[in-house]
Amino acid sequence: MNAIETKSLTKRYKTKTAVSELSLTVREGELFALLGVNGAGKTTTIRMLSCLSKPTSGECCVCGHNCQSEAAAVKNIVGISPQDTAVAENLTVLENMRLICGIYGYSPEKTKQRIDAMTSLFRMDEVANSRAKTLSGGWKRKLSIALALIAEPKVLFLDEPTLGLDVLARRELWSVVEELKGKITIVLTTHYMEEAEALSDRIAIMIDGSLAALGTLGELEAQSGESGLENTFVKIAAQFGKGA
Amino acid sequence: MNKISAFSARNFKEIIRDPLSYIFCLGFPLVMLIIMTIINDGIPPQTGMTIFRIDNLAGGIAVFGLTFVMLFTCLNVAKDRSGAFLVRLYATPMRSGDFILGYVLPTLLLAVLQILITFAASFAVSLIVGVELNVLGLLLALLSLLPTAVMMIAFGLLFGTLFSEKAAPGLCSIVISLASFLGGVWFDADGLGGVMLKICEILPFYHAVKAARMASALEFDGYFPHLLITLAYCVVITAASVIVFKSKMKADLQ
Repeated sequence: MNAIETKSLTKRYKTKTAVSELSLTVREGELFALLGVNGAGKTTTIRMLSCLSKPTSGECCVCGHNCQSEAAAVKNIVGISPQDTAVAENLTVLENMRLICGIYGYSPEKTKQRIDAMTSLFRMDEVANSRAKTLSGGWKRKLSIALALIAEPKVLFLDEPTLGLDVLARRELWSVVEELKGKITIVLTTHYMEEAEALSDRIAIMIDGSLAALGTLGELEAQSGESGLENTFVKIAAQFGKGA
Repeated sequence: MNKISAFSARNFKEIIRDPLSYIFCLGFPLVMLIIMTIINDGIPPQTGMTIFRIDNLAGGIAVFGLTFVMLFTCLNVAKDRSGAFLVRLYATPMRSGDFILGYVLPTLLLAVLQILITFAASFAVSLIVGVELNVLGLLLALLSLLPTAVMMIAFGLLFGTLFSEKAAPGLCSIVISLASFLGGVWFDADGLGGVMLKICEILPFYHAVKAARMASALEFDGYFPHLLITLAYCVVITAASVIVFKSKMKADLQ
C-alpha cells in the first residue's frame, strides 16, 4: 500500500511556482529522501502533505486520506518535525511530551507509556526535567522529533532534521532514524548527501519545484552515469541548468 | 476539552515561568499602590483630593494591573507565531477555537489572581491607613472587572496575532498609557471635565475604573451604565480578536 501519493501537485505563490506538477508515491514503511537545493520545493511539499498548506492544483493523499478534503484524518496520522526546532521553550522535556499527548487526548496511562517509549528511544533520561530552552541544539532536535513521534504517526516528516548539528549529534540522530526504519513511513529532506545515502530507501531530487529524478541510489547512479549520491545529484542538477 | 486544557496548562506555565511577568503583573501594580498611598498621606485633607486614597486606588490599580496581563498575552501569542512551535501545533488536530481558548483561559485565571492579590494588598493598606474597605464590595469589584480582564486579554490576542514579537509590545504600551491616564487611574477625570472627560468617556478604561470603584464602595447609583459600556467594549474587542486570529490561522494554512 502507498503511504503517500501525489498527483500533479502544484503550489503557486504570487510570482513563483514553488512546486510544479509533482507526481510520486511513497510506499508504506519506506524511508524516502527529498533532495534539492534551497528553494527547490521540498519544505512546501512537506507542508502540503501535512495539511499546513493548500495545493493550488493537483492532489495529495496520506494513507488514502485526501489532504484537503480529509485534513482532520490526515492530521491524526502524520507527525512533523519542522526545519526550525519546534518546542515549547519554557516547558521541560517531559512537559513538552505531556502537552502533545494531551492535545491528542491520551489517557494518563497512555501518556506515561508514550513518554517512557520516547525517553527510551531518544535516551532522554538525563534531560527529562530540563527546560527546553536550556538544551543543546542536538537535544532540542531530538525532542522535536520525539514530539512528532509521540502520537504514533503512520507517516513522519523530518524537514532537515540534522541541520546545524555537530557530527556526533547527527550520527546519534541517524541511529534513531535507523531504528524507526520499516516501522513507519519517513519522508526526510536534507542537504547532506551522505545522510540521504546512509538512510534512505529511495531518493527524489527536486529542482525548481519539479521532480528531476526518482529512484534508489543505484538507479539514480545508473541514470546519471556517476557514482556516489553527491556526484549523481550534481550531474542531475547540471542537466536541469543548475550548478557548474 | 483535553486539547484546550493541555494547551492552557502550557500557556499558564509559559507566563508564570517568565520572571518579568511577576515584576510587571504583580510587583509593579503593588509598588504603585504603596507609592500612591504614601503620596496620598502627604496630601493635605483640605485640598479635597481623594484620588490616591486606598478606596479609590484599589479599583484603578486593578485596571492598571490588567493592562500588563494584556502585554503578556500579546507576547505569548506573538512569540508562538514567530517560531515553529505553532506550525507543529497546526499539524495536530487542534482547531482555531482550541487555540483561542487555550490562550484566553490561563490568562483569565492569572488576571483573577492578580486582582485578588491587588485587592488583598489594598485591604491590608486600608487597615494600616484607617480607611474602610468593604470585603463584599471588593468581591463585587472583582466581578465587575471580569469584562475588563477579558477585554485586555482580547487586546493581547489581537496585537499578538497582528504584529511581530518586536512591534506588538509597543502597541501594548500605548494601551497601557491610555488606560492609566485616560482611565482616570492617576487623576480625577471627572474633576477635569470638558474635552478631556469626553475623551475618557469614549474609551472603555474610564468606565472600567469607575465600575470597579463604585462596586468596591457598594455605590450602585449610576454603576450599571459604566459596567454595560465596559461589557460592550469587551464583546467588540473579543469578537474582533477571534475573527482576526481565525482569519490569520486560515491564511497561515493557505
